[in-house]
Amino acid sequence: MALTGLAVALIPLYLVGAAIYVYFAASQEQSHRAQLQNLAVNRSNAVQLFLAERTAMLEALAHTAPLDNLAQPGELRNVLTILNKKHQSFLDLGIIDAGGDHLAYEGPYRLEDRNYGGEAWFEETMVRGVHISDVFLGFRRVPHFVIAVRRDDRPQPWILRATIDSEVFTRLVRSGQAGLTGDAYIVNRDGKYQTPPRFDGEILGQVPFSTTIAPPGVNVVSRETAHGGRVLTAFAWMTSKDWLLVIDRASRESTGPLQHALKIEFVALLAASFLVGGAVVFHTRQLVGRLAAEDRNRVAAEAQLAHSARLVSLGRMAAGVAHEINNPLAAIGELAGLMEDLIDEEFLDRAAHGPLFRDNVRKIQQHVDRTRGITHRMLGFARRMEPHQDTFNVNDVAVEALSFIEREASFRQVELVRELEADLPMIKSDRAQLQQVFLNLINNALDAVPEGGRITVASRALSDTLDVSVKDNGCGIEKEIHDRIFDPFFTTKAPGEGSGLGLSICHTIMKGLGGSLTFESAPGKGTVFMVRLPRTPV
Amino acid sequence: MAMRLLVVDDEEDFLRSIVMRIELRGIEVHGVTSGTAALEYLQEHQDAVDVVLLDIKMPGMDGIETLRRIKESHPSIEVIVVTGHASQEFARLGRELGAFDHLVKPIRLETILERIAAASRHNSSSDSR
Repeated sequence: MALTGLAVALIPLYLVGAAIYVYFAASQEQSHRAQLQNLAVNRSNAVQLFLAERTAMLEALAHTAPLDNLAQPGELRNVLTILNKKHQSFLDLGIIDAGGDHLAYEGPYRLEDRNYGGEAWFEETMVRGVHISDVFLGFRRVPHFVIAVRRDDRPQPWILRATIDSEVFTRLVRSGQAGLTGDAYIVNRDGKYQTPPRFDGEILGQVPFSTTIAPPGVNVVSRETAHGGRVLTAFAWMTSKDWLLVIDRASRESTGPLQHALKIEFVALLAASFLVGGAVVFHTRQLVGRLAAEDRNRVAAEAQLAHSARLVSLGRMAAGVAHEINNPLAAIGELAGLMEDLIDEEFLDRAAHGPLFRDNVRKIQQHVDRTRGITHRMLGFARRMEPHQDTFNVNDVAVEALSFIEREASFRQVELVRELEADLPMIKSDRAQLQQVFLNLINNALDAVPEGGRITVASRALSDTLDVSVKDNGCGIEKEIHDRIFDPFFTTKAPGEGSGLGLSICHTIMKGLGGSLTFESAPGKGTVFMVRLPRTPV
Repeated sequence: MAMRLLVVDDEEDFLRSIVMRIELRGIEVHGVTSGTAALEYLQEHQDAVDVVLLDIKMPGMDGIETLRRIKESHPSIEVIVVTGHASQEFARLGRELGAFDHLVKPIRLETILERIAAASRHNSSSDSR
């Protein structure tokens, strides 16, 4: 029952929790995708602006300064210094003729004697006029890229070439990375790193995915990494150069707030589960307790019914026995009476055993009277089984109940004390049921007292009630069981000696008669049961 | 007017003894052992009985039926029913059929004389009305 209650209470709670989580997760992912896309657009623009600015500088220089001036010793150094004053991004500058030889060179490397004829970037520049190369190793076998512009002088064109500082460029690209595991790098159309990735890869190495997964423009996709983790990746193809800006952000980092929210939700659900579970278990236990109590009461009622049925049967049997005895008893009584009537008193006085004869006849009548008392009590018991209202004196009922145990009390030397108030008013109630209550209480008292003990039955009239108490100086009742004394089937007697129904039935009877049954007890000193009856007008 | 009594009981020892004891006390009394005999006696001796002491449990016609018939044919006769047990049902039935009183055996002779005297007085006062 508790499990069903828990399921009914918790399943809707969990469903609501799950729905909130799914909605929040979707909302979070959408937000992160939008953030990442904005970042990719922004960084892509920054990179393209960087390249455009440097290309424009070189173009301006090539087209405004005469070759003779630029090629003079020391001139390129001045120019390089001026260019790097604001933008520390040029590593060297070189002027190369149409054959690929240096006309002038300024930079940290010894490249004056190098011929670039046949180099890809050189050919591209000669053809297109302006060229930004992919990253390549070059003569120095160091990855770098160059920007070159062509000036169409006469008689021959020449090229102004600059090597871009990879560190500066890489820093610019990495400004797009975020978080502990985020990354930002550039790859070319063939999937080669143009800037070094932060983890697992090096410049000019192959990226672990095909660039074809990146659609034109700027897009955000969720993809699996080489290590099996999931990342949210923004791809941004540049318009001025055939490069792809890649910005990765680990899913678990991008979902950090979501994870945090999930933890809060989990804790909240756990707390709610405990609360709901506790409440369900508490109420279920209460319900089960009530059902068990009702079940006990039902069993007790059935037992009481069966007990009553047994008493009715017993009553019928008593009535039958009494009837069978009463008829011959009446004949014996009348025959003895007749004998007494007929005997001549003078003859008896003269006869040898006359007085003995007279005594015996009288004794026969006395024994008939005694037996009549017994059979009438049996008939009274039978009559008690039939519920009805009688008008009677409570003292008479108490005395009658005491008479049933007089013999046993005498045998055990238990003193029976009657403290019955004289002139008690008559009441209207069920005499038989009241007698059953008195009998039960007096029998219990007899069981409780030791040999030589005392049982006191007292009665008194109050303004609205008549009180009868049955007091004994027996073993008393332990305080721990005071609350259970009127419970059905509760007994302190040995198994088989008490049904545990006596006091429960008495309590029920007294409630039914509009009265009450209470008790006070001191262990080792004794117990007093108090029967209180309403003073009904007769 | 002297009291005249009819005792109806199938227990012959009881019947014979009680009839003799009542006679010894100067009361005109007759005894019969069945309901049928009682009705015949009353039929033959019109107005010869004031009070009937009637046992309820008898073979043949029982006391209740006898009571019903007596009250039908002789409504002025008072009937005291006697049983060997104290069933409320018999007491109620007896009262409903017009019995004057209900006694439970064994009964002291003094009690019987007291009740038949009361019944006879009741009978006389009813007749005078």
